[in-house]
Amino acid sequence: MAHRNPITSLTTAALLSAVPLLLSGQALAQYVPLGDQQSLAEVYHGKAYSPYAQRSFPSRVFWGDTHLHTALSMDAGLFGARLGLDDAYRFARGEEVMASSGQPAKLGRPLDWLVIADHSDGMGFITDLAAGKPGIIAFEQGKRWYEGLQQGGEASADAALDLIGTFSQGKIDPKMMAEYSPGGKTYASIWEKVVDAAERYNDPGRFTTLIGFEWTSLVKGNNLHRNVIFRDGADKAGRIVPYTTQAPIGSTDPLDLYAWLENYEKSTGGSALALAHNGNLSNGIMFPVDAQYTGKKIDANYVRLRAKWEPMYEITQIKGDGEAHPFLSPDDAFADYETWDVGNLDLSEVKTQGMLQYEYAREALKNGLLLEQRLGANPYKFGLVGSTDSHTALAAVEEENFFGKATNAEPKPDRMSHPFAENENGAYRGDMLVASGYTGLWAEENTREAIYDAMARKEVYATTGPRMIVRFFGGWDYTPADLNSRQPAFRGYEKGVPMGGDLKAVKGKQAPTFMVYALRDPIGANLDRIQIVKGWLDKDGKTHEKVYDVAWSAGREPDAEGKLPPVGNTVDVKNANWTNTIGASELGTVWTDPDFDPEQSAFYYARVLEIPTPRWVVYDAFRFGVSIPEEAETTHQERAYTSPIWYTPEA
Amino acid sequence: MSITLKRVLREPLLHFLVLGAGLFVAYGMVQKPASGPNEIVVTSGDIEHLAAGFTRVWQRPPTPQEMAGLVKDRVREEVYYREALALGLDKDDTVIRRRLRQKMEFIADDIVAQAEPTDAELTAYLQAYPESFRIEPQITFRQVFLNPEIHGKSLARDAGRLLAKLAQSGDKEDAHKLGDPSFLQNDFVALTSSEVARQFGTTFADKLSVLSPGQWHGPIESAYGMHLVLISERTESRLPALAEVHDAVRLEWGNTRRLQSNEEFYQKLLQHYTVTVEGLESMDPKTLLVANRQQ
Repeated sequence: MAHRNPITSLTTAALLSAVPLLLSGQALAQYVPLGDQQSLAEVYHGKAYSPYAQRSFPSRVFWGDTHLHTALSMDAGLFGARLGLDDAYRFARGEEVMASSGQPAKLGRPLDWLVIADHSDGMGFITDLAAGKPGIIAFEQGKRWYEGLQQGGEASADAALDLIGTFSQGKIDPKMMAEYSPGGKTYASIWEKVVDAAERYNDPGRFTTLIGFEWTSLVKGNNLHRNVIFRDGADKAGRIVPYTTQAPIGSTDPLDLYAWLENYEKSTGGSALALAHNGNLSNGIMFPVDAQYTGKKIDANYVRLRAKWEPMYEITQIKGDGEAHPFLSPDDAFADYETWDVGNLDLSEVKTQGMLQYEYAREALKNGLLLEQRLGANPYKFGLVGSTDSHTALAAVEEENFFGKATNAEPKPDRMSHPFAENENGAYRGDMLVASGYTGLWAEENTREAIYDAMARKEVYATTGPRMIVRFFGGWDYTPADLNSRQPAFRGYEKGVPMGGDLKAVKGKQAPTFMVYALRDPIGANLDRIQIVKGWLDKDGKTHEKVYDVAWSAGREPDAEGKLPPVGNTVDVKNANWTNTIGASELGTVWTDPDFDPEQSAFYYARVLEIPTPRWVVYDAFRFGVSIPEEAETTHQERAYTSPIWYTPEA
Repeated sequence: MSITLKRVLREPLLHFLVLGAGLFVAYGMVQKPASGPNEIVVTSGDIEHLAAGFTRVWQRPPTPQEMAGLVKDRVREEVYYREALALGLDKDDTVIRRRLRQKMEFIADDIVAQAEPTDAELTAYLQAYPESFRIEPQITFRQVFLNPEIHGKSLARDAGRLLAKLAQSGDKEDAHKLGDPSFLQNDFVALTSSEVARQFGTTFADKLSVLSPGQWHGPIESAYGMHLVLISERTESRLPALAEVHDAVRLEWGNTRRLQSNEEFYQKLLQHYTVTVEGLESMDPKTLLVANRQQ
């Protein structure tokens, strides 16, 4: 299955094995330092001499989580979460907080940005609070409370109690009460707290907060959830309250959410987007091809709106990895990764094989090509992000620092043996929780606008937790020289499009080329290989997929069937350890699609695999001195999924 | 009343009053003294409330048809709500208990959330916790990468040769040409030390913070391998004046005050109760009074 063309092998060889002797003077044929042959002007194709001047492409990866819950979410509170918005932001930006379970928690490395997405249903429970006029202090009661509150400490607590008591006993001065004019009603709600906290913690250049919420559509236990993310601050996002799923105002139909988004943008002049997650728990309704769950036919309107409002998909998170399923991708040796396929979200219905094709991202990307041909737009043309969906206010998914799905799964000896959910239909075992994921995105700066815009143009990638740096470009004439140049990204943007982009057909070009390279997480594991996953639609309207190994660590060659041997495994389960003695710290190549047909629409994304490392259960077992359940996976190969690059034939 | 006082008043007291009042106004809507136990009156105030809620979501008032839907739903909710209370379904329900606890904590939060600190208070806070606001050093440097797998045992020798070459040419040499191939950048401009740590690991960042600028050093180990490094500029870490970090200090001050206030609020409430824990004789009742809320 693996394929290497001459260019690939040259590059890979140059990168991985040929270079060693260069410095000691024995130059090998494959590696030719570019600087010797080309003038500086040729190396830098920029408009200015200085390569950094007028540079207008994203040069840094910013790490974040698009999906974190705090105690404000009803279910999080039910599980015992005590931490709120402040704690969530403080933790994400690198501070130590006390977890709800009473143990200190701190991230190994801070995140650059965060979206708190609490469930919108129930978010506005303290609504309808009357606002008064600033003459309240004229009244004796008002003055007393005011002074008490200003003193702080015990006096303010006294004042608060007095105030509450007076209200509850109806002893409030009626004249003061009259100051509350019904016409002046404002709405203090949880949403205002959410917006206010985001504004307080947003620190452009250092730590970005994006305002968001989760629209928790659940149809008979089937997960149709979407997160909504705003580009805007309080001036716009604060004017609305989130859309809910509860009739009569809210609805569980995504089409109604799109209408709400449309209305938000129109009435506020703001921008917002939505992204779905956990298709794996939707029992076949996340990525419909023929009909929506409502029975309504998938039509031109549906595909157009979904494409417009959902530019990303959360492909990996604590409740399972959603890239591929072994049943759908039997030829992909790495498809069965952290798979959750027992049933729907609440296990009220068992999963059947027929559902899988409408649940996994790769299949949706393929079906998107089909729907585009059929209806004129591709509803599943999404970028890929990873998120935690943690309900602890802690975006903590490092394997050795995993704070679980909810407070009841924060670190403790029995959490891996205690089922996350279980009924007569099956179980999501405790050990199955996935310490995943984060989103890396390429942006020009760490601001709300830049972060949001990267999401909107899909220049994002998902990882299952590690922070590997991944570049992926598609164009028609990348060469190994581009990759070996001082700044491959310069060439990447000049000669093609980055992840999330569209490759347009160019006359006279044979096949697209892809420049892909990755640096391992500086404090993480080495890389095993880079793969390019291609999906396409043939002339009979059938979809196909193929996974190509395009770059790998030294010392291996594909066998006669093109299969690349495994990288090995250094994991010491007993001691919760592994070593970087296998794999490579960087990998990269320029790859040309050997099977390209210009008449067929296609997509390409890169999958970067780490060498095997311990899963979180191994660290738990080591630290708590407990044994790991037999059925639990102990090692895995963490990975990054880039957003795809799409090719569409000329009409 | 001074202008300053008015400004302060505008936010803190009102918001708090509003919150407190809202709770009980909302409560009052349910328990209307005017209506009998089996009478449900949807008041004009209720209707206004429903319409306003809709408007907030959709940025337009409801149509008559939508309004009818809202009222119908409200009546249904009210019937179920009253029946549920009559059946005692609110008792011992974890969701309801936690939600009510949360509401009380919000009240406590809002006592301080609105208070506006004076500059004197912020200065005092900054002086009390100076290290929290320290400005990080920034480093502008160039690195030449050496891959240990490539050089093996001759790494020290190769690095020495290269270092000598670089020492002669200073920063004129093309760093990219000299080292081993890597996707790492060669030049970094004004990187904070924590950014250096995030890109190269903490050991490397620590080393960089003590190297003298203007000359090549190395080899220095990072997460990726070895590096020869030339620092062209480094600004040292320092403690800022309030003006530079005003917003950050204000945020921290507010957070500290919020946590204190929450605890005081709880302690105050707790004083109204005698707490007995049966079967846990070993537990000192005093421990119940110790702050359980996280700092």
